[in-house]
Amino acid sequence: MSKSRDASVSSLENLPSENVEAAPLYIPPKERFLEFRRQPSTQRASVLAFIGALAFFGLWEAGHYLTPASARKFFPSIGEVGSALYMLFAERNFLHDVSISCWRIFVSFMAASAIGVPIGILMGCFGNIRALFNPTLTAWRYLPAASFIPLLLVWFGPTDQAKIALLFIGVIFFLISLVLDNTTAIQKEFVEAGLTMGASRRVILTGIVVPAALPAIFDSMRNMIAVSWTYLVIAEIVGAQDGIGAVMMRAGRFLNVDVIMAGIVTIGALGLLTDVIFRGAARVLFPWNVERRS
Amino acid sequence: MNIVAKDFTPVTNVPPLKASRITKEYLGGSFKALDDVSFELHNNQITAFVGPSGCGKTTMLRIIAGLEYPTRGRLEVFGKNVQGPGPDRGMIFQAYTSFPWLTAMQNVEYGMKILKVPAAERRERTMNFLKLVHLEKFADTYPRSLSGGMKQRVALARTLAQNPAIILMDEPFGALDAQVRWEMQELMIELIEREKKTVVAITHDIEEAIYLADRIIFFSRQPGRIKADIPLTFKGGRRIKQKEELLEMPGYAELERQLFAMMREEIK
Repeated sequence: MSKSRDASVSSLENLPSENVEAAPLYIPPKERFLEFRRQPSTQRASVLAFIGALAFFGLWEAGHYLTPASARKFFPSIGEVGSALYMLFAERNFLHDVSISCWRIFVSFMAASAIGVPIGILMGCFGNIRALFNPTLTAWRYLPAASFIPLLLVWFGPTDQAKIALLFIGVIFFLISLVLDNTTAIQKEFVEAGLTMGASRRVILTGIVVPAALPAIFDSMRNMIAVSWTYLVIAEIVGAQDGIGAVMMRAGRFLNVDVIMAGIVTIGALGLLTDVIFRGAARVLFPWNVERRS
Repeated sequence: MNIVAKDFTPVTNVPPLKASRITKEYLGGSFKALDDVSFELHNNQITAFVGPSGCGKTTMLRIIAGLEYPTRGRLEVFGKNVQGPGPDRGMIFQAYTSFPWLTAMQNVEYGMKILKVPAAERRERTMNFLKLVHLEKFADTYPRSLSGGMKQRVALARTLAQNPAIILMDEPFGALDAQVRWEMQELMIELIEREKKTVVAITHDIEEAIYLADRIIFFSRQPGRIKADIPLTFKGGRRIKQKEELLEMPGYAELERQLFAMMREEIK
């Protein structure tokens, strides 16, 4: 510190003296319901979520009772769908169909991930690999998976393989392109830092690129499993004996709208459950990436 | 302290780095980022690359690091021709490169793991360097919960722990706010002095260059050439840790004025 203080810098001496009234309380402007980018408290968020759900079910019930009595069969109430769901599980062994469907999703998604994730990562890392695969894969992405149904039926018949193959085709090409994007999106300095530290290509790939991209890849997988559920119903509508889609299709033939809706609700609940599992797993697997809640 | 990176041996009469006639052309020769640039680094000196943006100083640094290749010319580290990157030239980037999936301690260890340093020695050096960058309390913290300055200190410790012969810094404090930047500059001088390293640091902050460097190489742009090679003799051969002291030294103001004039000449 310099001993002689510069003349132009004067010290401030107006420290608050004692025996002075506290400054008046600051009254912020009134908070409105629509405040830009304001996050509600956890408590309020759950109340709002409850109101939102209530509104949905209210509309549903209202729709049911506003429908003319003669057509009400085609717009069942919540209670009717609930009892159809109960009946399905209690009397028709619906649990078997649900587990068959989950199994098809699981097997096809595991296969698509086991092949798609490594290919996507390699394409994201190496321009030559990307040039080798990308044009062909892009073309595949534009082919609607449902258009393979006739082919798959000829090849495999109405078997589990045909359904799993359809789910696989519906997911893998999009998964590859998402993983490719996730991999190229990692900070390029991570790889360069590895290079200047003298890391081998194998170490950079497995020790830097993979951990850097994995949280985003996991997110892509979570999004793609939702697409899997979409194709599941298509797969099970065509020549299936069991599975949620087959039950819904059969119900449709007898105009059992309550059973169809019970199937839809079941798929929605399973989708939600998958999402929760993925998010929970991500939190455990990538503790460094846990989002901080404000 | 024993040398971790084994593929070089510091020899006093050979310069740690010799760049001879480096030219870097882009777009098939229609754009020259660097035009016949030659210089030598001196042992245990901090050299600052200064110049306007687009002058090729970043390209030169990346060529030294081995992350880019020159079109012409030769690069020698302690008399040995080098091609590509290597742990003898450690690099600190402007972007935060502490790996987010590793704790501060694991980050510092990582470079030594790559060099296959035995676990016991690795641990000891890690704790040692974490202490030197004042992060021993944050050993088990992920970078996400560290401030920008702390992340950069992790990167600094990781690079120093590898014990490279030359440390390259690409605007290492560019993303930090003024006060943290100032703290980091002081810490860096202290550590470089302690570890006896040859350093090249890019900066476009003239004050930072004068404070950190023992020598300034000023690049002109298009084509990139060395416009001036300025030894900071006014410091009397020592490093001034207190900025206030530096500002009071005769010669400081004149040098700063000259550098600003040179910069203005370039950006005209």
